Amino acid sequence: MTNDVVLTVTGMSKSFGVVRALKNVDFELRDGELHGLIGENGSGKSTLTSIVAGSQPADTGTMIFRGGPWSPATVNESLANGIGMVVQESGTVPGITIAENLFLGETGQFSTLGLVNRREMNARATAALEAIGVTDVNPATPAGACDFQTRKLVELARVMMYDPAVVVIDETTTALGQDGRDLLYKAMDDHKTRGAVIFISHDLDEIMSVCDRLTVLRDGDIICTFDKDEFDEGAIRAAMIGRSMEGHYYREDNKATANDEVMLSATGLNLGDKLRDVTIDVRSGEIVGVGGLSHCGMHELGKALFGAVVLDSGAVESRGVRISNERRAVRNALGYVSKDRDTESLSLSASIRDNIASAGLRLIGKGRAGLITSGAENAYVKTPMDQLEIKAPGAGTIVSTLSGGNKQKVVFGKWIACGTEVLILDCPTRGVDVGVKQAMYRLMTQLKDEGKAIVLISEEMTELMGMSDRLLIMKDGRVVREFERSADLNEMEIIECMI
Amino acid sequence: MHDLNGTTVAQDDAVAGTPATPTKAAIAKEDAAAAAKARRGKLFADLAPLIGLAVLAVAFVLAGTSAGTNMGYAVETLVNQSVIVIIIATGAIFIFAMGSFDISLGASTLVAAMVAGLVHNATGNLWLMLGASVLAAVTASLISATLAAVFNLPVFVTTVAMLSVLGAVAAALVQTTGGAQIRIDRSFAREYDTLTVKIIVAVAFLALCVFLFNYTRLGRVEKLMGGNPVTARLTGVSMKLTAIAAFAIAGLGVGLGAFLTALRTPTLTVTSASDIGMNILVAMVFGGMVISGGPRSRIYAAIIGGISMALLNQTMSIMLQGMAGGAGIAQMVRAVLFLAVVWLAASGFRTKVLPR
Repeated sequence: MTNDVVLTVTGMSKSFGVVRALKNVDFELRDGELHGLIGENGSGKSTLTSIVAGSQPADTGTMIFRGGPWSPATVNESLANGIGMVVQESGTVPGITIAENLFLGETGQFSTLGLVNRREMNARATAALEAIGVTDVNPATPAGACDFQTRKLVELARVMMYDPAVVVIDETTTALGQDGRDLLYKAMDDHKTRGAVIFISHDLDEIMSVCDRLTVLRDGDIICTFDKDEFDEGAIRAAMIGRSMEGHYYREDNKATANDEVMLSATGLNLGDKLRDVTIDVRSGEIVGVGGLSHCGMHELGKALFGAVVLDSGAVESRGVRISNERRAVRNALGYVSKDRDTESLSLSASIRDNIASAGLRLIGKGRAGLITSGAENAYVKTPMDQLEIKAPGAGTIVSTLSGGNKQKVVFGKWIACGTEVLILDCPTRGVDVGVKQAMYRLMTQLKDEGKAIVLISEEMTELMGMSDRLLIMKDGRVVREFERSADLNEMEIIECMI
Repeated sequence: MHDLNGTTVAQDDAVAGTPATPTKAAIAKEDAAAAAKARRGKLFADLAPLIGLAVLAVAFVLAGTSAGTNMGYAVETLVNQSVIVIIIATGAIFIFAMGSFDISLGASTLVAAMVAGLVHNATGNLWLMLGASVLAAVTASLISATLAAVFNLPVFVTTVAMLSVLGAVAAALVQTTGGAQIRIDRSFAREYDTLTVKIIVAVAFLALCVFLFNYTRLGRVEKLMGGNPVTARLTGVSMKLTAIAAFAIAGLGVGLGAFLTALRTPTLTVTSASDIGMNILVAMVFGGMVISGGPRSRIYAAIIGGISMALLNQTMSIMLQGMAGGAGIAQMVRAVLFLAVVWLAASGFRTKVLPR
């Protein structure tokens, strides 16, 4: 790292309606550094970097990049001129191939007389992917057919292909398994020799491990910047939260507990090479964790348990009712929180009220001949909004304006409000900050105590070990090992089963 | 294992290097200003179609009075022009709200009107005529929706196919009379082609639609589907049943609109009602409907848009009266306004305006 400043942001402000995302922010990035940004959801990290990378303009403020004024009008303009960004949510186009995504808007370079030389384009795409260490992806595959990790790695490859002076990685690691994370860390580390990296993450251990400097944001303000030798977990957390955070993070007990009633049972589930003869039971008052590497089949299992995929064979039942589709699942008090929150769990252009009420419309209309009035809907929504402390001006706030953590609270609110008895959570704390995580773990514990059954699918081993009564490890579509909650659980032993 | 149990974090006051931040009063003031700005923006977005309607109404009155037009007659023409569009567009909002599209509405209206005419000619009964019109239109709608459900196709695709089928059916129906048109007894049609009948039919149907769209689960799930169909499915919404219900309601609107069309235009040919499909689309856009559907769908858009479009047509016909090529100019003005409204909607609210 040198002391040459590559990017300077001065007096930047940005508002979204009533939400003031950035308040007169100053920021400096040095050449050759890996600079972390950390803060609670809604602190302004993504807003700051998205302005730097050209996806939206600032309301006020100036930027200097490599000595000149910087105000890119678009993401592509920014990327072509030296700043690229991998966004938090999905940034690929599902209906076109991996190669077409990599060369989006630039397929003309492979074109002669209007005909695209796909062989050459795919070869270049393969090279771009291999440059960041991805060797098992066919560039002719449609992006929509790839899993979330692969799509995020494609986005990374696309940005790295331009070799920009500054790369922004926005909360990407939570979409990746350990193998994907290793690829990302290596790519970032390599890039430091050629430029600078801004790395956004909620994982304090990770960000302290990989970053050279660390800037903390809170409520749209930059609170302070730490140099590597000043990194201190307590001080960073204090700067992030700005209030006393007391109490337990994960469950306090070390004993597996559950009631007798089986709430959800899956028998002999088979789905191509994703699920192979998977059989599990989930009982009332039990949290069953499911872990493994990102392609192990655990995400498909979550969807299968909710009836959201057509199985090759096998059956899912909940209290005697066959769960053959999502409608049956919801009618039998099952709820599903997708890993891909914005695409699968929320209607972003709708309000908090519309989203939370969506799963409970029958309940709202119950006893009123199906009539759904604003008053009844507001009353229905108020309880989960208060319980989950969703930060918003009101229930009418459009969900797209909320931070990741508050969005996830809305998804939780949707399922809690309608009396869900079996909750299937696929990476529920992806992209949420430490404060929201703690609130969600408390909520899971509370739901367990109320006798609800929870399936917790996660790529974070600490989360699985901290919350699960039983932990199922999947590999190549099979459940290969089951661990019971105890004080003696050994993380290394579990990881060995996964790989 | 990473254990964070019992972690206690100090107040941020202890953190070194904390910069000076604006005072609470200054932040509150800025927040209040931002909130007021957002409220004004939303209010303007909500009121824009009404403002447009008011402007057109003023233009209509000014143009009419300055040209010495019989305003009573002009208003009656206005109602006649707008009521059929309003009825069919209101029903169609159920389709558009879920992000779908029906290109066969005009053809469906024609076939239903022809069926109504043939039934009247065979029976002489008004109620049977009405029933036949509704039945024909609902059947056509349900065929589209059911085919889409069975073959797992976008409903839009099946309505494209239905457009051709209905065109052929209309031609076949005309042939049954042995001529090039289906005629309904003019005196009978004139007896029921009254403002009272139109207003009764319109008010009854609009009341039903407002109730279903705003106060039942159906309207809510349609908007959810329009906002994000994947989320809707994973929230337990039956996409197929919802689509079938939406098309049934739209079919009812088409049936009622076709009944009034048959009374108003008792001589039906294969080109009758040919512009209804486009008029409905234009009316909905003028009324502030987001064509891609979703949470911002409003049932009132059809009413406001239908009246706006009729006002525009009337104003243009008054202003261009006697001018060579006046009809063409009116068409062009309408097209320009349509594009302008869509452009404003797309640029102002950063939302999709085109259907899936």
